[in-house]
Amino acid sequence: MTTLATRRRPAPGGSTVSRPARSGASSVGRPGFAWALPATIFFALFALVPLVAVAVLSFTSWSGLGDPEFVGLDNWKTLIADPVMLKSLWLSLLFIALGVVTQTPLSILLGVWAAGNQRNRAVLSAIYFIPLLLSSAAISVLWRALLDPNFGIPGQLSWLFGDGNLLGTQTGAIGVLIFVGMWQFTPFHTLIYQGAAKGIPHVLYQAAAIDGAGMVRQFFSITLPQLRNTAITSIILMVVGGLTTFETVLILTNGGPGTDTTITAFYMYQQAFRSFDFGVGSAIALVLVIVATAISLVVVKVSGYDKMNSSLEGL
Amino acid sequence: MNNRTWMSRSIAGTAVMMLGLTLAGCGGGGGDASSRPENELHLAVYGDASNKVEQAMVDKFNKTSDVKVVLDTIPGADYQTKLQTIIDTDSAPDIFFNWGGGSIANFVKADLLLPLDDFIEEDPQLKDAFLPSVFDTAVVDDKSYGVPMRGTQPVMLFNNSEVLKQAGIDAPPATWDELLEDVKKLKAAGVTPIALGGADQWPTQMWFQYVFDRVAGEDLFQTALEGDTSVWDSDESREALGKLRELIDAGAFGTNFDSVKFTDGGSPTLLSSGRAGFELMGSWAYATHLDANPEFAKNALGYSEFPAIEGGEGDPHNLAGNTNNFYSITKDTRYPEEAAEFLKLMYSDEFVQDQIAIGNLPTTTNTEEFLDEAANPEYAKYQFNLVKDAPHFQLSWDQAYPPEATVTIHTAVAQFFSGQIDEDGFIKAMQSL
Repeated sequence: MTTLATRRRPAPGGSTVSRPARSGASSVGRPGFAWALPATIFFALFALVPLVAVAVLSFTSWSGLGDPEFVGLDNWKTLIADPVMLKSLWLSLLFIALGVVTQTPLSILLGVWAAGNQRNRAVLSAIYFIPLLLSSAAISVLWRALLDPNFGIPGQLSWLFGDGNLLGTQTGAIGVLIFVGMWQFTPFHTLIYQGAAKGIPHVLYQAAAIDGAGMVRQFFSITLPQLRNTAITSIILMVVGGLTTFETVLILTNGGPGTDTTITAFYMYQQAFRSFDFGVGSAIALVLVIVATAISLVVVKVSGYDKMNSSLEGL
Repeated sequence: MNNRTWMSRSIAGTAVMMLGLTLAGCGGGGGDASSRPENELHLAVYGDASNKVEQAMVDKFNKTSDVKVVLDTIPGADYQTKLQTIIDTDSAPDIFFNWGGGSIANFVKADLLLPLDDFIEEDPQLKDAFLPSVFDTAVVDDKSYGVPMRGTQPVMLFNNSEVLKQAGIDAPPATWDELLEDVKKLKAAGVTPIALGGADQWPTQMWFQYVFDRVAGEDLFQTALEGDTSVWDSDESREALGKLRELIDAGAFGTNFDSVKFTDGGSPTLLSSGRAGFELMGSWAYATHLDANPEFAKNALGYSEFPAIEGGEGDPHNLAGNTNNFYSITKDTRYPEEAAEFLKLMYSDEFVQDQIAIGNLPTTTNTEEFLDEAANPEYAKYQFNLVKDAPHFQLSWDQAYPPEATVTIHTAVAQFFSGQIDEDGFIKAMQSL
């Protein structure tokens, strides 16, 4: 029976059995436009259409009452002349830079460590990942309470924090936001690095050990180069995440003191939903889209990520 | 939870919201009565603990009316945003909660509200049953647009009487100089003289409201609000700012008030735990303390009017704060007569008693008869008399101005207190409104 079946299947046309088989294959077909339809519709509905709508709104003046009124380039002129807008862009870039600088080394170290076989690894990793399970709003409320200058941590450690006016100074407020961001997002990036580190072929380490390389040398000569593509992915995520950070700022500092932590995403919210100036809010949203796209493109170009070179080439 | 979905969600979410608003905006404006639900009056209110009284009034009204009122509660923090989003659409409420003043000024300008003057002519009680200083908050361009529907919340100077006693202070300050004196004594006693939730920003604004009113009288702010912003640069304005600077420089608020909030219990705990002598706060502070620290609220919590300022133009009995909340009627409503009928419940005995029972202080003229039923009759009477006798009750600045001014005002008062801007910076900010 089996020999009969295998012999019959590849037989060229003519038999009654092969014809329906062939037409069955062609009905499954190659990827066509229809395959892309659900994703295209979804993307258009939830990304493209709103993007175009925001672009249109950015040329109007609208408070939510009545119909949007076309005002040409007024909103854009306002934004260009607005010192807070420029400051917010610098602050956003500063937040991204500080976020990348603090989170990347920490999550690489933790990720590589968590990829190992140590006995306590599973338990400790599980604990490290807890912040990942909490919502940003909950995390912000939690830290806000913990940082109360009189009844929180600073109140107890006055030798370290002085009068505890952490959120009342620009350096303090930025420091708090960076720290809370680190606390919140390091676990996520650790997870990415852990997966990548686990994928590094063991033979590389065995070869290095034979050549006499120690732990540190192995880390810098094998692990880090092998994590290159992962690092780029992780950094792009941090950049885009940093640009759109919003709820932590809203709850922890409310953009203050003054406008010292008013980053662009928060400024967009403030203009659109607190000041009910949807025109300017939309213009800021577009600036964010443009800046985020530009930064991502630069990172991809500079890092050579677009060439998609495998880090395992030659193995 | 990962960064990317989070990113796309934020951007797409904002965009979608804005799109939704666009569509809503385009669909709105032309709503006429016939497109609205039959035999229903939609009532939008700020969602919080007071809703049970609103529900009780709705139930009472629905018992006798063919047109039924439907109570739509909107969670607190989103109220103003949601209202502004729907009010010019077919799904606008018929009757809605607001703060009077600036919170409805834009709606009046956009011709969305129904003036109540015709109804008042038919039933004068709709106006006369309420304290005038409160009712006036919802009068725009000489037309009445709102009826008071909750409790009044004047701002008072609260104190911890035990802390004052230990610092050698016998009575709350009646004048500005006494306040400065008390600040010195409290500092010497090693406590923060005045607790301030500066991170919330609106508690800081309370100091401006009172000092400006005491120094320059109520007209300065009114003139500025009506569009003549030059008054911010007047001598009185600079004198008021000078007084505030004097108080800040005297160390009255300590050094870390910018990190302290009222809303998370930070500043009230400073007062109740004996680490501060005073706090300027709305009348709800009593309920806050009663909830968090009942011992303190009953035994040591004191309260007084804001001190007089010698040589100032303002009457020392002027008040500032939230005069009350109001119900307004939208122009497109299908049943204006029934809506007005519902508003008449707001001066009924039952309404007043229900409000007092949940700790609110209504502002009807008959409120006085029921004050003995309050949880703390002494406190209720003190407050009620303050409001009744006040020559002028200044609505909080951020509510007197339309909502789009809030960010500017809050940032300016906070920056002035922290020293980021000086008198000129503050004046410039207020003149930009």
